[in-house]
Amino acid sequence: MGNRLRRQDAAFRFVTQGFAFLVLLVLAGIILTLIAGSWQSITRFGAGFLISSEWNPVTEEFGALVPIVGTLVTSAIALLIGVPVSFGIALFLTELSPVWLRRPIGTAIELLAAIPSIIYGMWGLFVFAPLFADHVQPLLIDVLGPIPLIGVLFEGPPMGIGVLTAGIILAVMVIPFISAVMRDVFEIVPAVIKESAYGVGATTWEVVWNVVLPYTKVGVIGGIMLGLGRALGETMAVTFVIGNAHRLSSSLLAPGNSIASALANEFTEAVGELYFSALIELGLILFVITFIVLSLSKLLLLRLARREGKQT
Amino acid sequence: MNRFNLFMSLVATAFGLFWLAWILWTLFDAGLAAVRPEVFTQMTPPPGNSGGLLNAIVGSLIMAGGATLLGTPIGILAGVYLAEFGRRGWLAPTTRFINDILLSAPSIVIGLFVYEAYVFHVKHFSAIAGILALALIVIPVVIRTTENMLKLVPDSLREAAAALGAPQWKIIVMVTLRAARAGVLTGILLAVARISGETAPLLFTALNNQFWSVNLDAPMANLPVVIFQFAMSPYEDWQRLAWAGALLITLSVLALNIFARVIFRNRTASV
Amino acid sequence: MTSRPELSASAPGEALAREKIKIEVRNLDFYYGKFHALKNVSLVIPERRITAFIGPSGCGKSTLLRTFNRMYALYPSQEAKGEIVVDGEDILASRQDLNRLRAKIGMVFQKPTPFPMSIYDNIAFGVRLYERLPTREMDERVEWALRKAALWDEVKDKLSQSGMSLSGGQQQRLCIARGIAVKPEVLLLDEPCSALDPISTARIEELISELKSDYTIVMVTHNMQQAARVSDYTAYMYLGEIIEFDVTDQIFITPKKKQTEDYITGRFG
Repeated sequence: MGNRLRRQDAAFRFVTQGFAFLVLLVLAGIILTLIAGSWQSITRFGAGFLISSEWNPVTEEFGALVPIVGTLVTSAIALLIGVPVSFGIALFLTELSPVWLRRPIGTAIELLAAIPSIIYGMWGLFVFAPLFADHVQPLLIDVLGPIPLIGVLFEGPPMGIGVLTAGIILAVMVIPFISAVMRDVFEIVPAVIKESAYGVGATTWEVVWNVVLPYTKVGVIGGIMLGLGRALGETMAVTFVIGNAHRLSSSLLAPGNSIASALANEFTEAVGELYFSALIELGLILFVITFIVLSLSKLLLLRLARREGKQT
Repeated sequence: MNRFNLFMSLVATAFGLFWLAWILWTLFDAGLAAVRPEVFTQMTPPPGNSGGLLNAIVGSLIMAGGATLLGTPIGILAGVYLAEFGRRGWLAPTTRFINDILLSAPSIVIGLFVYEAYVFHVKHFSAIAGILALALIVIPVVIRTTENMLKLVPDSLREAAAALGAPQWKIIVMVTLRAARAGVLTGILLAVARISGETAPLLFTALNNQFWSVNLDAPMANLPVVIFQFAMSPYEDWQRLAWAGALLITLSVLALNIFARVIFRNRTASV
Repeated sequence: MTSRPELSASAPGEALAREKIKIEVRNLDFYYGKFHALKNVSLVIPERRITAFIGPSGCGKSTLLRTFNRMYALYPSQEAKGEIVVDGEDILASRQDLNRLRAKIGMVFQKPTPFPMSIYDNIAFGVRLYERLPTREMDERVEWALRKAALWDEVKDKLSQSGMSLSGGQQQRLCIARGIAVKPEVLLLDEPCSALDPISTARIEELISELKSDYTIVMVTHNMQQAARVSDYTAYMYLGEIIEFDVTDQIFITPKKKQTEDYITGRFG
C-alpha cells in the first residue's frame, strides 16, 4: 500500500517534470532547427551576412543589414515614444488617480495589449497612415527637414507608410507592457519611504523622481527591456505599414523593412534553397536578439524581486 | 514643475486611452457596416466577388480549439511542477526563466520553427501544423498562470490534505488545483484570446484555404490570415470582409479578456 | 512503551505513571535551515488524555506538534533529529509509510482549511483515501463524523454545498469532523480556536473534551485559560525547550519553576 502510493507520487512527479523539461526542449528545438535551416546561408555568407545590405533573390546575394537596421530603428522609435508615455501612465495610476478610477483605466490600458497585432496593422495602413501623410508628415518635413543633422531623418515625400509610422504604431503596442511593469514596481515601494519624503515637504513629482524611480530603477529598466523585446519581434503590425522595401535610407519617412516583416512577406513565396536559408537566418538573428533582450529584462526584474524578498 | 509634470502624466494616460478609443471606433465604423449575415453563411470569395468568412471562422475555431486542447494539459502539468515540486533543483528555475522568455518571444519565430520541424518534412501546409504552432504559444501562458495561481493557494490547505494521509498527487489534483481553478481558467482564457488573433505563426503553418475544409492534414482557412490577405489586396469586397473579420476577432478577444478578468475577480474573492 | 520514561527537563507528577503512553519523544532537536528551533526535547503523551502545549509565540510549541505527523517533511529545509516513538515505533527513523502515519494521526489547524469541495466530499475525501466504502456506509460515516463534531444539525440539509460557504466556527468543526472521519488514534490541534469567536470556541472546547474518551489529543494554545479548562496535562515551553511538564492543575496552581509561574501569572517578559 505504502509502496503503491509512493510509486504513484513518483510517477506523477515524473510526468510533470517531463512537461516542464519539454519547455527546455522547445527552446533547444527552436535554436537547433533555425541553425540547421540557415546553415547554407551561414556557410555561404558568413559574418558578412550581418553587414551586407544586398537582398537579391535573382543573383542569390543576401545580407541582413536592411531588416536588422529597420528592426532596431522602429523599436528605438517605439521606446522613445512609449517609455515616457508609459511612465506617465504608471505615475497616474499609482499616485494621481482616484482609487475608484485605477482599475477601469488600468484595465483599458491593458486591453491595448489584447488587441491583435493584425488589427493594429490594418488600422495603421487604412486609418493612421493616410492621416499621418496628410497632416503630420508635411509638418515634420517643413519644420525638422531644414535643421542640419537631424534634417536627413525627415526627407522625402510624405507617403504615410514607412519606418516612422511603424515605430509609432509599435509604441502604442508596447505601452501596455511597459506601463504595467512600471505600475507594478512602483507599487512595491514601501509607503514608509514615500511618506517620509512627503513628510519633509516633497511634491508628488519630487517623490516619484527622487525616491520612487531610483528605488525601482532596476525594475523599470526590466520593463523597458520587456517592451523592447516585444517591439523587436512584432510582425503583422509592422508588415502592414513599414513599406517592405529592401533599401537603406537615412530618412525615417522612407519605407523600409524589419526582420519579422521580411519573413512574413517573403517566406511562403521564396524560391530557391539559399533564399529560404537566408530568410531562416533572419529568423535566427531575430530570435537571438530578442532572447538576449528578454533575458536581460527577466534578470533585472528578478534582481528587484530578490532585493524585495530580502527586505520583507 | 510639479504641476506641469503631473499634467503630462494625465496627458500620457489620455494618450494611451485615445488610441484604444480610436482603434475601436474605427473597427466599429468600418466593421459594423461589413458584418452582414452572409459573413457567417458563405465561403471566402474569389477576388471581385462578394462572399463571407464562414470557412475562415470555422477554421479559426478548429485551430484555436485544437491548440487549447493540446497546450492546456501540458501547460498545467508543467505549471504544477514549477509550483509544487520546484522548491529545489535546477530544473524549475531554469524552466521558469526560459518559459518567461518564450512567453514574449516573437510568434513568427514559433511559426518558422514549426515550419522547419514539421511542415518542411511532410511537405505541405496543414491545420495540424497551425495547431502545433498555436499550442506552443498557449503553453507558456498556461504554465505561467498555473504556477502563479498555485502559489497563491495557502500552504495550510496542502498541509490539511497531507495531514489526512493523502499522497501528494491527490493533494495537488483534488485540492490545490481545485482551489486555484478560477485562476487557471483565467490563464486558459487569456491564452485563447492571445492565439485567436495570432497571424504570424499561421502564415507558415496552416497557410490559408479559399474553400471549405475541415481536413486537419490540409491547409485551413483562418480569420487572421484571411484578414491579412484581404486587407492587403486592392479589391474592395475583400477589404470590406477584412474589416468584418477584424471586428469579429477584436470583439471576441476583448470579450475573452474581460470575461477572464471577471471570473478571476469573482472567484478569487470568494476563496 | 509502558515503562516509566526518563524526563530530562522535569519530572512529572505520579499521575503520569498510571497512564498508558501513546507518544514518547526522546532528545528531539529541530531545525528550520540553520535555526535551532527545538533543543533536546523529551516528553511523553499519555493515551486518551488531552495534553496542551503552552508558551509565548515562537517558543516551538507548534513546531513540536508538527513533528508528530512529520508535517515538516513537506519542506525541504526543515529537519528533525532524535526519536519520536509512536506505539513502539520510531517514526523519525523507521521506514514507515508517511501517508499511513498521517492517516493515523489527524490534525486540525489554526485557521479553518475546508477543501474547495462540498461539505460531504470534505469529509469523504480522507475516508476514500484508505477505505473503499459502499455509498450507504459512506453516508453513515459522514453523518457520524459530523455528529461527533456537533455540526450535523446545522448542515444536514446542505451537504452538497461548498464547505467554504460555512461560517468560521462551522468550518473549523467541519475540519474536526474531517479529521475524525478517518478514525485516527491521535488528534493534533494547532491553536484550533484562535481564529474563532467566543461562542464557537466554547463549542469546540466542549467537543474536544468529549473526544477525549476515544482519542489521544495534543493541542497547542496561546490561551492559558483554555489549556487550564480542557487539558489533563500541560507542557510549558520557552525558546525551544520544555521548561515544565505536569498535570494541568499542578502547572497552574503550584508550578515548580519560577519561569512557569511568571508566565501563567502574566509577569512574563
